[in-house]
Amino acid sequence: MAPPKLSEIVADIPSLRGVFITAMPDCLLYEAWTRSEESWGTEDVASYFGDLVRANREGLKALKSWSAEMQITIESADLLLVLRELRSDFVVAFAFQREVPLGMVRLHTKRALDRLGALLPAVEAEARPRGARIVAFLQKYAPDPHAVLQRVALQTGITVDTLHRPEALDQGQVALLESAVKDVLGLQTLSI
Amino acid sequence: MPATPSPRSYLPEHDLMFFGGVPAVYHCHHFNLFLDQTIDDAIGPQAGAALRFTAARAASHDLLAGLAARAGTSTPIERLALAQDTFARMGHGRLGVTADARGGEAIGEWLHYGFAWREKYGSVVRRTRPADAFAAGFAAAAVEVAFGLPRETMDAAEIECIATKGARCRFTLTPGAAPPAVPSVGEAEVRAQLRPSFPGREEQAIAKIAAGLRDFTAGVAGDAHGLVPAFGVLVTMHLAGYYNRICCDAVRQVEARAPQVVGAIETLLRESGHVCVFNTFGGILLSPEWEGLVGPPDSDPAQIVVGCLGIARALGFGHWTLGELAPGERLVVRTPSSYESVYSLARYGKLPRPNEYFLQGASLAIAQLAHRVDWKSRPQLTPEVYAALFQGGELPWKAEQTESSSCGHPRSEVVVTRVA
Repeated sequence: MAPPKLSEIVADIPSLRGVFITAMPDCLLYEAWTRSEESWGTEDVASYFGDLVRANREGLKALKSWSAEMQITIESADLLLVLRELRSDFVVAFAFQREVPLGMVRLHTKRALDRLGALLPAVEAEARPRGARIVAFLQKYAPDPHAVLQRVALQTGITVDTLHRPEALDQGQVALLESAVKDVLGLQTLSI
Repeated sequence: MPATPSPRSYLPEHDLMFFGGVPAVYHCHHFNLFLDQTIDDAIGPQAGAALRFTAARAASHDLLAGLAARAGTSTPIERLALAQDTFARMGHGRLGVTADARGGEAIGEWLHYGFAWREKYGSVVRRTRPADAFAAGFAAAAVEVAFGLPRETMDAAEIECIATKGARCRFTLTPGAAPPAVPSVGEAEVRAQLRPSFPGREEQAIAKIAAGLRDFTAGVAGDAHGLVPAFGVLVTMHLAGYYNRICCDAVRQVEARAPQVVGAIETLLRESGHVCVFNTFGGILLSPEWEGLVGPPDSDPAQIVVGCLGIARALGFGHWTLGELAPGERLVVRTPSSYESVYSLARYGKLPRPNEYFLQGASLAIAQLAHRVDWKSRPQLTPEVYAALFQGGELPWKAEQTESSSCGHPRSEVVVTRVA
């Protein structure tokens, strides 16, 4: 029997505005469903949620409080968001209307998650070179992204042309890159 | 205390500005932040901050010594008060200096760099290093001038900064050893480097706009916080010697240390001009003041270009003229001298390649404003609008400096052409 489609699993959940499934570790959109009236940029949303869950996981690990069952709940002005890791290779984000009771949200997400497992393929995480992942992270989060590779070039001495091919960076260059990216983003560590 | 003088002047036919006999220009926070950041990227955060401080102290000493002499001040208290008042009038914030010849401290409130950084980037990036090297240099120079100390013998360190989430900005002031002297480039040195001026197309219209804007900016001064929020940006009157020294020194250091990335620093210095002109000139074009002076901007690229060249002259950038304009295809900006080239010539003589990065980036931005903004819709020039200019990667226009008075050419020329 063919696996169910995402829309078949979630469309009938009351007050649900959208679902985003992000493939990890690259934070790429795997699949999304939103109601027709929503105008969200699903690629961007999926990518940021992936990073959020990863940062949360690292933070909890630092606090020695992480477990695979962790779930993030965000109550914004008009949304109630639930983010959950599904296996180690996907993150699922549910966006509900803000006024839905939390208990109902938990019930619906649990039921949906049970069925979503059948929808998702077994993914062999692609071993992207660390340099490539760092550059992708930088370009996503740096202020003034149009100029950021030039900034890193200046800090590291690695030419911009070389930085455009980050998968080819050697170990020493990756270390320089990582140091520069931490400086540009004001971070002590990169959770990549 | 004697009244603070308002000694702003322009060189006729060259549109270069002086303040207290020191080369000066108006620049916005976009330019100031991006330029400082580029210097630190280029030579490292510690060396960058040290260079920015040293350049600020030297240029500020020249300014404050000149102003103190003109005002006829006779006591250290008068000279410190004059310095603090000048700092605020220039739009750099409030700086309170409590010191004598043995040093002391300074407290900064609403400092332009720290405040602007926090507003622009503070929600995106955590900053760990203070942002106000210019204020540090100004405070040190104020003490030197107030107490008749030799120039560049007072050090300052910013020990608390609002850009790093401090409650305010605080500096310690201590006597130090003077570094090797770098000769000042003042009005006499600038005059000695001028090339014969010339008119361009639409000269009358550009000159009229420049004159009108000069009248307007003559009355501009810091508000209660010592800031100048205008045209959607924070404006400063600034010292050209500061900008020029940090640019020239950083480029030279990169040339010596990592020549393979000289192109990167040149691109970033151009970008500091691009982001500045797009936001500041664009903000001026959309302002009620502009509407009163010129009328509302429309979609005619020629009108936008003429307006921008008038703005450039009024802000003290030089006698920027319109060489050519083929709407949608090509823009040529020429000037006999720029605030960048006169400094470069005075300090280094002729250079082998052009180095007027602000002129290059500004000309590119003028082309963007003329062709890529829907003026009739009265747009807000938000960060998102600016970022959208770069959607798809490279800008669809490129700038090339084909002549430079820094290289001994009779004029500087930037050619901006459409790429795609």
